[in-house]
Amino acid sequence: MSKAIELERLRKVFRVRERTRGIAGALRGLVAPRTREVVAVDDVSFAIAAGERVAFVGPNGAGKSTTLKVLAGILRPTSGVVRVAGLEPGRDRGRLGYRIGAVFGQRSQLWMHLPAADTFDLLARIYELAPGEYRARRDELVRAFEIGEICEKPVRQLSLGERMRCELVASLLHRPEILFLDEPTIGLDVVAKATIRDLVRERGRRDGCTVLLTSHDTGDMERVCERVLVIHRGRLLLDRPVDALRKSFIPRKRISVVSEEAELSLDLPGVRRLPSAPHRTELEVDLRAVGVDRVVSQIFARARVLDLSVEDPPMEEIVTAIYAGACGAEAGA
Amino acid sequence: MTAARIPIVAGKYLAFARAAARRSLAERTVLVGRSVFLGVILFVFSRIWRVVGASAALPGIGERELVWYLALTEWTVLSTPPLFLAIEAEVRSGDVACRLVRPVGYVGAQICEAVGEASLRLAVLGPSAALFALALTGGLPADPRGLWLALPLGLVATFVAILCMAAIGLSAFWIVDTSPFFWIWQKLTFVLGGLLFPLELYPDWLQRVAHATPFPLMCWAPGRMALGFAPRQALASAAEGVIWVGLLIGLLALMSRRARARLTLNGG
Repeated sequence: MSKAIELERLRKVFRVRERTRGIAGALRGLVAPRTREVVAVDDVSFAIAAGERVAFVGPNGAGKSTTLKVLAGILRPTSGVVRVAGLEPGRDRGRLGYRIGAVFGQRSQLWMHLPAADTFDLLARIYELAPGEYRARRDELVRAFEIGEICEKPVRQLSLGERMRCELVASLLHRPEILFLDEPTIGLDVVAKATIRDLVRERGRRDGCTVLLTSHDTGDMERVCERVLVIHRGRLLLDRPVDALRKSFIPRKRISVVSEEAELSLDLPGVRRLPSAPHRTELEVDLRAVGVDRVVSQIFARARVLDLSVEDPPMEEIVTAIYAGACGAEAGA
Repeated sequence: MTAARIPIVAGKYLAFARAAARRSLAERTVLVGRSVFLGVILFVFSRIWRVVGASAALPGIGERELVWYLALTEWTVLSTPPLFLAIEAEVRSGDVACRLVRPVGYVGAQICEAVGEASLRLAVLGPSAALFALALTGGLPADPRGLWLALPLGLVATFVAILCMAAIGLSAFWIVDTSPFFWIWQKLTFVLGGLLFPLELYPDWLQRVAHATPFPLMCWAPGRMALGFAPRQALASAAEGVIWVGLLIGLLALMSRRARARLTLNGG
C-alpha cells in the first residue's frame, strides 16, 4: 500500500523570547533580547498508509498540533524529512493545498457573519472545482452531515456542534486525499462528539481518504481510528493498533452515578468505589473483569438513577501507564 | 504561471473580494455609522472655515471648495477597512493556520477581501459625501469637472492605503501589537497626506517632504480635484500611484516571505 504520510526524524524547535520583569528588564529586552529554545517535536518518525485512519494523541503541549501543522505545510521543520502525498509540505504548500483538508477544532475557516453556504462557494473557487462537480459534492455532503438548514444561517448563530459539521463539510468539498483533524471534538457535548466521530469515520471509509486526527480525548481515537500514535513531550511513545492500546493501557472506565439514594453499593468483581459524596457515586470498572453493560444494568436495578456518565480515564493517566509500561519493559530487558 | 491559469487565479481572488463585499453588506450598521460620522466631520469643518475665512489663506479657493476637498479626502479614508487589525488578530489567535492550508496566497487573499469591503464603502460613502457637501455648501465647487477625476484617484488612494495597512498588519509577525505602527501611519496620513487642509496651505519645504512620501496619494490627490480641474496633476498622481503600488507590493512580498519563516502558532 502506498504511503500517504512519511516522517523521518522530525524535529521542530521554537525560539521564544524570555521576558524579564520590571522597566529595566523591558529596556534590556529591547536592546539585547534573551531567547531560549523550546523543543516542540523531537526526533519523531512514522509512516501512514493511504486510507488509514490514525489518531495522534497526547496530553496538552505534547507536540501533536505542531506535528500536524508541519505536515500541513503551515510550519517548517527544524530538521528531518517530511513527505505528504509525495510532496514536501514546506516547499510545495501550494500544490499540497489541493490534496489535503484540515479542520482545527479551536479555529474556524468559515466566515462568521455569512452563512456557511457562502464559504462553500468561496472554497469551490479556491479549489477550482467545476460548477457541476461542486454542486453534486456539496449536496452529497450537506445530506450526509444533515446541515441543509444550518448552512443557510450566519455561522455566528450556530452551536459549536453545528459549526463543526459545517467545518468538516468545508474541508471535504475538494475530496482531499488526506484529512488533518486537530482536536475536532474539543468543547463539544457528548451527543455532538458522537455525531462528529461517526461522520468522520464514515466519510473516511466512503471517500477512502487518509485521516490523521489529533486529540487528547481517548474517545476520538477509539471511535474513529484503527491505529494510534501516542506522543508526549515531543517524543513518540507508542505506535500500535487502537485495540491493542485499549487492552494494554485503557483497561478501566469511570462511571459517575447521581441517584435518589444517598448510598449506592455494588457487589461485582472488578468494580471499585472511588471517593464519593452523598447521592453521587464514583466507580472505577476494570474491563478485564467485568463489562460496562453489566455494571450499568446492576446500577439501574439497585437505584433510582437521576444521571449517569461513563468516561475513559484522562489522557494524562494513560500516558503515565504507558510510561510505566515502557520503563518496566526496559528494566526487564 | 501559464497564461491559461491567469483567469483562474484572478477568479479566486475576485471571489474573496465578492465574499467580503457581501459580508460588509451584512454589516450595514457600520456603513451607516461611517456615513453619519462623515456628515458630522463635514458639518464641523464647514462651520470652522466659515468663521476663519478660508479665502484669505488660498487665493481663488473658497469655503465651498474646501468642504468638497474634505468630503473627498474623508471619503477615501473612511472607505479603507482596517486590514491591519484583521491580520494582527489572525496572527495573535493562530487563526492564520486555517488560511495557510488553502492553495491561495494569504496576503493576496487578505488584500482582496479589503478591496471588496472598500468597494462597497466607496460606493456608499461617495454619494453620502457628495450629498453632505452639497447640503452644507449649497452647490458644487467652482469647476466641478475635477470631481470626475477624483473618482479614479479615490480608487488609487484606497488601494495604496490598503497595501500600507497590509504591511502594518504583517508586522504582527515580529511585534504582535501593531497599533503603534498604525498610529504613526495614521497621523502621518493626516498631516503629510493633507487630510484636513490642502497641501498648498503648507510651507514649501513641508510640501516637498510630503510629496516624497505616499501619503498625499491617499488624501490630497483625490481632494485636490475639488479645487479645480487639473488633468495633468491627476495623471501625475496616477503615475505616482503605480510606482508606490509596485514598491508596496515588493515590500509585502518580502515581508510575507520573512513572516512565513518566523511563523509560530498559538496552541501548538
